[in-house]
Amino acid sequence: MSAEAQNHDSHHGMMIDNKKLFMWLFLGSDCMFFGTMISTHLIYRKLYPDSFDPTTLFSLELTSFSTFILLMSSFLMALAVSAMHKGDMKGFRRNTIGVIFFGLIFLGCQVYEFTEFAHKDLTLSSGTFGSTFYMLTGTHGVHVAIGVFWLTCMYFYSFTGKMDPHESAVDVEVAGLYWHFVDIVWIIIFTAIYLIEFV
Amino acid sequence: MSSTTTDIPAPAKTETQEDVLKPQKSNLGLLRPDHKKNFIVDLLTTVDHKKIGIMYGLIAMFFLVVGGIEALIIRAQLAVPENDLISAQRYNQLFTMHGTTMIFLAVMPLNAAFFNFLVPLQIGARDVAFPRINSFSLWTFVAGALVLNFSWLVQAFYELGWFVASDTSVAAGKTDFVPAIGWFGYAPQTSTQFTGIGTDFWIFGLQILGISSLSASMNFVSTIINMRAPGMKMMRLPVFTWMTLIVSLLIIFAFPAITIALGQLMFDRMFGTSFFNVADGGQPILWQHLFWIFGHPEVYILVLPAMGIVSEVLPTFSKKPLFGYSIVVFSGAVIGFLGFAVWSHHMFTTGLGKVATAAFSLLTMAIAVPTGVKIFNWIGTIWGGRVRFAAPMIFSVGFIWMFMMGGFSGIMHSAAPADSQQQDSYFVIAHFHYVAIGGILLASVSAIYFWLPKMIGKMWTGRLNIWVAIITTVGLNVTFFPMHFLGLIGMPRRTHTYLSGFGWETYNMICTIGAFILAFGILLFIVDIVLCVTKGKPAGDDPWDARTLEWATSSPPKFYNFARTPVVAARDALWEHKHGPENRKITYVEEDSHGIHMPSQSWMPLFAALGFIPLGIGAALMQAGVPFMGYITILGIVIIALGVALWALEGPGGYHFHPEEEAT
Amino acid sequence: MSRTPKSSYFPEVLKNRFENIFYRFVCPFLLLLFLSGCETNTRMSTLDTKGPIAEVQYELFMITVWVTLFIFVTVGAVYLYAIIKFREKKNDTRPLPTQGHGNPLIEVGLIGASILLLVIIAVPTLQAIWYTHDIPSPVESKLAHWYKGEGLSKAEEDNVLRVRVEGYQWWWAFDYPQLGVTTANEMVIPAGKVVHLELRSKDVIHSFWLPRIAGKVDLIPGRANEMWIQAGDTFDVWKEKNELQGDDASLIAAYNQYLSDEIHDYYYGQCAEYCGDSHARMLFRSTVVSDDEFANWVSEMKQGHEAPGRSGTPNQLSWEEWYRLDAENPEALTGDVNEGLRLFVGRGKCSTCHVVEGNPRALGVAGPNLTKVASRHSIAAGWLNHRGEDGSVDIKQQYDNFFKWIKETDVVKPGNLMWKANGGGIGELEKLLTDDEIDKISQYLQTLK
Repeated sequence: MSAEAQNHDSHHGMMIDNKKLFMWLFLGSDCMFFGTMISTHLIYRKLYPDSFDPTTLFSLELTSFSTFILLMSSFLMALAVSAMHKGDMKGFRRNTIGVIFFGLIFLGCQVYEFTEFAHKDLTLSSGTFGSTFYMLTGTHGVHVAIGVFWLTCMYFYSFTGKMDPHESAVDVEVAGLYWHFVDIVWIIIFTAIYLIEFV
Repeated sequence: MSSTTTDIPAPAKTETQEDVLKPQKSNLGLLRPDHKKNFIVDLLTTVDHKKIGIMYGLIAMFFLVVGGIEALIIRAQLAVPENDLISAQRYNQLFTMHGTTMIFLAVMPLNAAFFNFLVPLQIGARDVAFPRINSFSLWTFVAGALVLNFSWLVQAFYELGWFVASDTSVAAGKTDFVPAIGWFGYAPQTSTQFTGIGTDFWIFGLQILGISSLSASMNFVSTIINMRAPGMKMMRLPVFTWMTLIVSLLIIFAFPAITIALGQLMFDRMFGTSFFNVADGGQPILWQHLFWIFGHPEVYILVLPAMGIVSEVLPTFSKKPLFGYSIVVFSGAVIGFLGFAVWSHHMFTTGLGKVATAAFSLLTMAIAVPTGVKIFNWIGTIWGGRVRFAAPMIFSVGFIWMFMMGGFSGIMHSAAPADSQQQDSYFVIAHFHYVAIGGILLASVSAIYFWLPKMIGKMWTGRLNIWVAIITTVGLNVTFFPMHFLGLIGMPRRTHTYLSGFGWETYNMICTIGAFILAFGILLFIVDIVLCVTKGKPAGDDPWDARTLEWATSSPPKFYNFARTPVVAARDALWEHKHGPENRKITYVEEDSHGIHMPSQSWMPLFAALGFIPLGIGAALMQAGVPFMGYITILGIVIIALGVALWALEGPGGYHFHPEEEAT
Repeated sequence: MSRTPKSSYFPEVLKNRFENIFYRFVCPFLLLLFLSGCETNTRMSTLDTKGPIAEVQYELFMITVWVTLFIFVTVGAVYLYAIIKFREKKNDTRPLPTQGHGNPLIEVGLIGASILLLVIIAVPTLQAIWYTHDIPSPVESKLAHWYKGEGLSKAEEDNVLRVRVEGYQWWWAFDYPQLGVTTANEMVIPAGKVVHLELRSKDVIHSFWLPRIAGKVDLIPGRANEMWIQAGDTFDVWKEKNELQGDDASLIAAYNQYLSDEIHDYYYGQCAEYCGDSHARMLFRSTVVSDDEFANWVSEMKQGHEAPGRSGTPNQLSWEEWYRLDAENPEALTGDVNEGLRLFVGRGKCSTCHVVEGNPRALGVAGPNLTKVASRHSIAAGWLNHRGEDGSVDIKQQYDNFFKWIKETDVVKPGNLMWKANGGGIGELEKLLTDDEIDKISQYLQTLK
């Protein structure tokens, strides 16, 4: 897969792979995406501080747990990348399945949380808090889901034998970049949307 | 190694190649569409940045004409007071689509055409970093343009009585199927309470165009940073490439704001959220902030390439290096950076408060400095040079005059209290059309005169370019100069008609006449292009005695650009090669025996991009209650996902090519 | 490999001459043409100012014009010189020009010069921002000082006149909360007094623009903006401008003369933010009057209208009596005006959306307040005008305008609520109003003087 990047060998480039550079640029852009949504949330929160009290709704225990799970998945992701670099295909598969599993747990927690909140009458159309909260956490959830889908594809692809440890390392690394980013964004969201309400 | 050829760079593959290069099978087991003789298939699947660039250019020219016709109808309507040539609704749709079309479907793709064609050549690369993503960007752009303009068809169906929004849909009773919200789409005008599915077409069209711009920009940044030929240091890059880099970064950081804003608006319209819904606490002003955080950098996204073009043309025709290269590059970067800090000068009348107004006022003045610096440096380039008034130069020289005009009225806007009289009046229209037509369009025409011989290998014929210059410049000034006064004596913009007795009649009539003169000038320009394509004589590799690397290869360039990768020894590589000392000549890398590695063509980018069409149209029509449109929308998403998956699985392929074989 | 073909077959001499002619003569000529043809004292001209805000804005604008003109002339002259002086000669065989790469000193000098020029603009800009944003309340503008009419509460005496401007698609409501008066589309304000405007919108964004008096401020739903306006100078400023001193009666008379000659007038304004279909037809007017006229106007507005009289008698009835007669003995109320009123509160449904002060059944607030509507010089938010040459109401034209507006409200202002309002519009009546009925309603409306 990485052959495309090396098609016309880069001559004077910075010593960074094309794909990795592309992913960094995407993540830069993605920062602005999340930045815009988090700002929207905080602006409305500041504008209408009393319109809604999320502390009665949020379960800090559950969200802390899912945050922890996501952090651990990042750790496994780093192990998977490292395994791929060493050519340790088994290690790669073991850690990747771990990442996928943790990612699914996180998504499960989010689905549970969403249904809980919806039962307690926080919906997309219930004022600005519902709108910004669901759009922001939902977009993040979609990011996680895409990551899970991507890693699952990679996991199964590794069984076809077409995955060369040396050439595919950069692909895994790019997926890893994405996964770490999604984690870091969650830390920010967790702080700015959940924790801040309990201060 | 290369002989001049008169062919358009269509699939110019010789028999020998065909024998040597059989299409391979992809990882999916399908035959790759390489080396096809079928012209259409070749265009649809091409990954060649030059063909993609030319297609961008052709589509941009088409939409330039469409947007121009919209403008002419607008001017015809305004020629006399209380005119009823078109209805208020149609007028509002026309100015909305005129703005949206010109910005997103004419100027941006025209810039993309030059980026695509020139950047890899200017940096001595074989192609962009991600050729298939490049193809995806092109077709996504086409999909976005189709979704946006599909609205005209729906409106036509409505007028014919074949289509109405269903009574149970949110668009019930609304008759606007083409967006009528202005290119800025201010909330709450865009809510379902006030507008029909025209707004949905606009949301999805822009969203899709944004995906295209984002993927193309990431591609260009990767290309410029990673694909430079040996010796092509950053500070040796041609200024046009530098401006491409800055513009791409601007797109990467500015487009997310509009993407999210459009997303929020879409949620408001489809799922009843309250981002901009006043009744539920939404703040319409939030839209303005998000829109202009994107919208102001967008202005520089449009104009910086023009500055890059002029910075290439002036040195070439003055036979002198660009005066203050590093300062021109740096000021471009400063403009890009400051562009993010001045958005609220579009909102001086919204009641920002005096501190914010003062801050944005001063920052806006500050941005005049780097812009002025560029003008000084262009004059410095001409100073002491030997100026040849060939067609590209005429337009670049004209660009500086007209751009100064637009810049000065910009300085007038920066003084917030004065701006509160000018805001949303015809004065503003005069201002940004001097920048858009006098600046961007003249520079683009200059670029076409300059680079078309490289693109198609043919030279311009005859003297038509002088007449194009005279007529467009006269038309431009006759149309837009009176608008300054029209604004100052109180005519607001976006009004489909006006009463007599306000002193606006004469000016409006002059403007309308000017618009038709301008249109005639553009028509002549198109005739000139056709003459060049049909009757032009071979141009040769370097018809203008130019300076940069793209002129060092054949015209039109072979699909592999350079038979051997050049090694760059100086800024203005070709000029130094021709006129500089011995140690600054271009040398070439000895390729290893396996030849040039070329990327394979692919159906998948096209396939994935086409998914956006059912996605956009389906979602918009769903808002009008058309049955099964939800499924069509989902079908679109499935097509995109499938396309991307197959794209990943098919593998990049690629083949080796030996240019020597062809030369024999 | 490289050769230089003729780029154009246009003769060099001619081409240079074209350049010369165009940039030396044609451009300045065009400039002159437009400058000389420019009439500035038109109805909505920002160049012919009638109040301190517009004046400050105009003066600032002129500073920017002079500064940029100076830059344009200087840079343009150098540029013009460069393109003429350094053009290629015929059969030029000189060696290549010096390959200079720039000069940091020149660059820094020019950057410094541009910053200096911008400071010339920046300082008055900041002053003007503060001046236009801070709402002053000088003694002579306080209500107690000049307002001698009715309806003013003690609490408001120390405040300046406040007008609540509300934007609707596509008309304006002007509410005077301190005086308990509401009007529509034609705002009445006293000359030489600070007026504090509160700007709100009920639907989409509009923008309040009264060019000769002040630049625009937007009306944004969900928030209140504010601005201050003033038509004409205050006594002190007027004295200062005319280099006069003192307070004697002759001076005051001269000041009042200035107000009545130059300031008391009918001003034109318009919505300046795109607000949907009929944005172009969302105009408004402002009548600037003397203190006394203002007080009169307020009392007339508060008084409202009586019901028309019995058939054939000019004596007006009280509303209770009119409604009683209408219910019990309709034959007593004949004649076009009575018929018109009957349609107004009955079949025409006008009163569901419009207030007519006095009439207890005309209380709807979805449409413009119609109290004294026949005294206004325009209807349909300034689109249909009946102001005569001498500033009086053209009765014939007024009738035509009422008739046209009621009959073709969807044509005059497409998309407006009067035509379609979820069951409340004229266009939704079971049977549309006949010309005869419209005639009667128009005649009734003309009595609302």
